[in-house]
Amino acid sequence: MAWVTWRQHGSQAVGALGLLVALGIGALLTHVPIGSAFHHDSLSACVPPAARTGCDIIVPHFESEFAGLVTATRFLTVLPLLAGVFVGAPLIARELEFGTYRFAWTQGVSRRHWLLSKTALLAAGIVVASGAASLVVMWWRSPFDRLGGRIGPSAFDVEGIVVPAYALFALALGVLAGLVFRRTVAAMTATLVSFAATRFLVSAVIRPHVMTPLHRVVAATAASGMRGDWVLSNTLVDGGGRQITAGHEELAVLHAQQAGIDPHTYILTLGWRRILSYQPAGRFWTLQLVEAGLFVGFAVVLIMLALWLVRRTPG
Amino acid sequence: MSPPPLVADGLGKRFRRDWALRDLTLTIPKGAVVGLAGPNAAGKSTLLALAAGMLAPSEGSIAVLGRDPREAPEVLAEVGYVGQGAPLYRSFRVADTIEYARRTNSRWDRDIALELLTRIDSRSKVSALSAGERARLALALALGKRPRLVLLDEPFASLDPLAGRELLQLLMDGVAELGATVVVASHVVADIQRVCDHIVLLSSGCVRLEGNVEELLESHRLLTGPRRPLGSIRGVREIVRERHSGRQLTLLAIADGPIVDPSWTIDPVSLEELLLAYMAPERLPMPAAERVPLRWHG
Amino acid sequence: MIEFHLDPQSGVATYLQIVRQVKDALRLGTLDVGDQLPTVREVVAELAVNPNTVAKAYRDLEREGLVVARQGRGTFISSTLARASLQHHAELRQEFERWLETARRAGLDEESIRALVSTTLRESLARRVA
Repeated sequence: MAWVTWRQHGSQAVGALGLLVALGIGALLTHVPIGSAFHHDSLSACVPPAARTGCDIIVPHFESEFAGLVTATRFLTVLPLLAGVFVGAPLIARELEFGTYRFAWTQGVSRRHWLLSKTALLAAGIVVASGAASLVVMWWRSPFDRLGGRIGPSAFDVEGIVVPAYALFALALGVLAGLVFRRTVAAMTATLVSFAATRFLVSAVIRPHVMTPLHRVVAATAASGMRGDWVLSNTLVDGGGRQITAGHEELAVLHAQQAGIDPHTYILTLGWRRILSYQPAGRFWTLQLVEAGLFVGFAVVLIMLALWLVRRTPG
Repeated sequence: MSPPPLVADGLGKRFRRDWALRDLTLTIPKGAVVGLAGPNAAGKSTLLALAAGMLAPSEGSIAVLGRDPREAPEVLAEVGYVGQGAPLYRSFRVADTIEYARRTNSRWDRDIALELLTRIDSRSKVSALSAGERARLALALALGKRPRLVLLDEPFASLDPLAGRELLQLLMDGVAELGATVVVASHVVADIQRVCDHIVLLSSGCVRLEGNVEELLESHRLLTGPRRPLGSIRGVREIVRERHSGRQLTLLAIADGPIVDPSWTIDPVSLEELLLAYMAPERLPMPAAERVPLRWHG
Repeated sequence: MIEFHLDPQSGVATYLQIVRQVKDALRLGTLDVGDQLPTVREVVAELAVNPNTVAKAYRDLEREGLVVARQGRGTFISSTLARASLQHHAELRQEFERWLETARRAGLDEESIRALVSTTLRESLARRVA
């Protein structure tokens, strides 16, 4: 089956390699100004917990200088999906759509063996490719991660072991979609939609609560000073702990302006404070492990479902 | 005593609401070349797909070489299946397709496969082959694994007469070498009557006629004569079908002895006429208890 | 080596056609004792017929004592059918061809010639027996 898998998916492997090479070259080229700016301004001295004077000016300056590129890296979170849409979905859907399953499934290998071997081999390749991509991104993002942490969503989604996990999940999703929908385009669409939905749900609903968030109380007007941590919520409360709505806050500011008092001072005298709930930077690998484990678990379940379903196809 | 190559017992297959096959019981004798005849949508493709393990029965059972083709995938290494239109990977080269079959079957005989592929360049893409060449390739893949049972679904459709004759020659040569049993489904009787020694006629999912071709042709006679009320005719065991035209009456009858009756002209019947007669849904009224498909075993 | 041909429209079973063609060849002298018949595979590959049919024809010929199958080597003619000497055949054939020319010039078509030949042959045989 190794030869068969290579013969049928070799061009996909070449495509993935090409993508990786392009990613690598792009990373190398765009990193040049970043690296030189980092050293030029001695930003390594601003890496938490160190904090020398002036850091609170040059760090935001550095970040905004390359903000466009950094935002662009967020889009790399789409890469794992490609494994599902272009490798997983056509795997079975093409055979069913073009009738070649009548050739592939009437030889001396059982359908389960055929599916399992192919998927395992493709999974291995995909893990290697997505792992490499993750490493490239981590290398590229390291100046920003050192300064601003990597546990926030913009970095978390494209670094570490979750990337191969997402890719495995996408592959498994694509394979099952191909079995269920039996048409390549429909399977691709279903894979895209369900991948996006699952990723969104996990990162919005599950990830913040994998470990109980910590809380910190700060002055109402202070900068949060939460470099590197992932702030989940930022609530303004009064002396008794009751939440102040945005409308109420505006009212207070208006009141202060009418009275000729500095709004910040006024709010402080009211005894208001901010409560921040957050996940600390140090929990990065724990959260990564849990989320990766979750997606790999999903992938395993989906593959088992596919193995069960393939015996009952086409009817 | 090895098990018969194909046995169906009360086999039924339903797609959503419609039954493609219903209550089908059949035994294919070993070493026979079986013609699976019948009009389109008679259930021929469904029967072959069930035999090749591609579909699961809705009721009843089917056994290939004594085993359930879905439970024992190793049985498929002994079954050469060529689906309708000879399904193959269009982007593969001929050599790749051969390699694919070689690696997924436990037994592979390169020589048998190559014999079928003379004059075909192994580097050509499957999509560039003509219909006849594709059919030969599909047959090469089926015979190369030295199967004991060969299943062909409408192999001559879309082939010109020369390509069809060549395919038949190659098929019969392969069968002679392998001693395999063959089941060829075709809705054109002429394509297969040259080679079949056993016939199974399907229509609307049921077996209408089954048996050894020679015996069937021996036992049936065409009687023509002036139209008249029918009594019993000496030598005729059963009347299968009657046809009136003007003042003439034609009967297709099963004889159990020489038919001695000067008022009738007796003629032998061709296989095609025989099949057409049994395909027709309306038969002469028979007592309900006798309304079973006739079986003749070779 | 004899080459068989098949007439699928004739209504005669394939194996009988093969048997008849071997016998005809023996009568005409185109096959002699010791000659090898084509192998089953050769016949099948040429004519596209069922190998069982060819095997049956050869078995029938063997049963009639006309051929013998040698394991692994092929099927060979083992005896001939009584026939007139070849020399007479050539003369008779020429005479027959001349007669056919005459019949054609007289306006007989193929069907009429056949009818004439078979009726005359039948009646003549009947007279000889009587």
